[in-house]
Amino acid sequence: MTAVEHDAATAGWRTDLDDAPIAIAVAGSRIAVAGAAGEAVLLDAGTGATVATAVVDGGLLDVAASPDGRHLALTGPAGYALWDTGTGQLRRFDTGAWSAHARWAGADRVAVSVGRRAAVHDCIGEHLWATGECRSTITDLAWQSDGRYLAVTAYGGVYRYARYSGDAVGSYAYPGSHLALAVAPTGRWMCTGNQDRSVHIWRTRDGGELEMPGYSEKVSRLAFDPTGAWLANDGAPDITVWDFTGKGPRGRSPRLLRSHDTITALAWRPGGGALLTSGGSEGAVCGWNVNRGVPGRPTRPIWRHDLGAPVTALAWLDRDTLVAATRHGQVLRIATGPARSD
Amino acid sequence: MSTDSRVPVTVLTGFLGSGKTTLLNRILTEEHGKRIAVIENEYGEVGIDDALVLDAQEEIFEMNNGCICCTVRGDLIRILGALMRRRDRFDRIVIETTGLADPAPVAQTFFVDDEIRSQLRLDAIVTLVDARHILTHLDEIKPDGVENEALEQVAFADRIVLNKSDLVSDAETCAVRARLRAVNALAEIIPAQYAKVDLDRLLDVGAFQLDRVLETDPQFLTQTDHQHDQTVTSVGIDTPGEVDPGRLNAWLGELLSTRGTDIFRSKGILALAGDDRQYVFQGVHMLFDGDEGRLWRDGEDRRNRLVFIGRNLHRAALTAGFEACLVAS
Repeated sequence: MTAVEHDAATAGWRTDLDDAPIAIAVAGSRIAVAGAAGEAVLLDAGTGATVATAVVDGGLLDVAASPDGRHLALTGPAGYALWDTGTGQLRRFDTGAWSAHARWAGADRVAVSVGRRAAVHDCIGEHLWATGECRSTITDLAWQSDGRYLAVTAYGGVYRYARYSGDAVGSYAYPGSHLALAVAPTGRWMCTGNQDRSVHIWRTRDGGELEMPGYSEKVSRLAFDPTGAWLANDGAPDITVWDFTGKGPRGRSPRLLRSHDTITALAWRPGGGALLTSGGSEGAVCGWNVNRGVPGRPTRPIWRHDLGAPVTALAWLDRDTLVAATRHGQVLRIATGPARSD
Repeated sequence: MSTDSRVPVTVLTGFLGSGKTTLLNRILTEEHGKRIAVIENEYGEVGIDDALVLDAQEEIFEMNNGCICCTVRGDLIRILGALMRRRDRFDRIVIETTGLADPAPVAQTFFVDDEIRSQLRLDAIVTLVDARHILTHLDEIKPDGVENEALEQVAFADRIVLNKSDLVSDAETCAVRARLRAVNALAEIIPAQYAKVDLDRLLDVGAFQLDRVLETDPQFLTQTDHQHDQTVTSVGIDTPGEVDPGRLNAWLGELLSTRGTDIFRSKGILALAGDDRQYVFQGVHMLFDGDEGRLWRDGEDRRNRLVFIGRNLHRAALTAGFEACLVAS
């Protein structure tokens, strides 16, 4: 059951779901919300009303929308499903294996992690190819170089595969448990967040490496901004933002964004402008203008909304509208407005 | 009562056939009014309805700090992380490991992963043993480099359920208890038939909480054991005196970094010089947690009590090492 309310504080709407949302994906004019217990809900982005629901047994970990918004990949601890939101058809893959994430390369190709392998499907779910077995369960994956390569990360580094053949085409090795993967939109950099409290960086041109150790916690969230100039990551109470312009972050102090008890979500505003939004365990959503920060010195947010419950996911609907979810089942549309971010 | 609001986690170990699933079913069906999440391995003895399933292939990995002891369970980190993101909070979590599982990476996961540590606390390692067969398992000679899992499961335990005790004679029970006690002097041994145990003795017992370290009767500390035993034993030290914190840090740091592979568990309550509070610590291999405990009471004997459980422990060397940390009277 859901209930929708107009929310004057955020100049948007609020929908209450039964399940705890853990991920949000914008699918055209709809918003897909994945619930931890396995319920996926499709909401109308304009009103917050529920359009459709689907259930994946065993729970959910993530949802990814195809660029045209028609297809959704729902991934969970015991398998995954591909959902055609046009026809309503849900194609399940009850593999019993851990599927952490799915990533789309255009509207017709999606890579899904399936235990120690990644499987690539077309949009209707036909199996195209799968990778070999990695050393551990795959924790993250990304398409690289305009979708020409699939990069997956697992214990021991990042492994690459060709888009059409699935052939292994090299790897970036580094010991340790890599938890999250970010590929710069420029294609120049590949970064992982690690269980051993570090960020590892490879320059893709020549495999040159850079290690950013010294975090107080494991680094499990990292994201490049749409221009590839900035990388934001967790791993400490402060969000760390590294400058990847020019020769990259070597020798540069990061921006430190201070507001949360524990960082639970990061989302860059689309289209550039260095505006980052973040969510925290204390229930706040913050907006940050990274350009205003001074390297090495804590920066305060340019705006802050208190949602009253731990934030679990953030996604931008457009340049002026953010969608946030909380552990207590709330999904909120928040108007950030151009004036509030510039 | 503890003010710790984190969800307690019980790790259930024991060889195949020791009665883990029977105990799990009892935990789930008994009227206790608690919401319990069970995490079991894919090939458990009997499937538990609604249990969360760990991958069949355990994912044990080393942390990057070069410490071979700091292995953790990647599969456990993932599944506990997913569990914590659900809307409904569980009152307790029980993890059933396979009969062949090494308890160390399971325990170390709770020391190493911050996300887990902030929301969950390792409450106790409960090991079930089959009274008829445990001595055979403990004495089994393994090839070089192969661990005796039964021995390690007993050594790591906070509670040992001596199951099927009705199937052995009193004399055999005595022999089994003596052998278990020689391996692990700290664990409470609870005899049982059909895994019938008062659950209050197993769940939420706080065995890994610093304020309950060595809460049980420390008589075992005075027992004698072999001076240099090739197998797994407990060594207790019980001595009066004031401890020099600097010397203690240096000694424990050196001991755990050089012998951490062989020292499975360590616990202690110490009297630091000039400190009116007890210092309590416990460790799993090289991982170590210590803090101030309660105030020493008026007239209370400020004694230092430590226990090490491990392989090839040398009582005289450990005792001498610790006594060198004492401030000269």
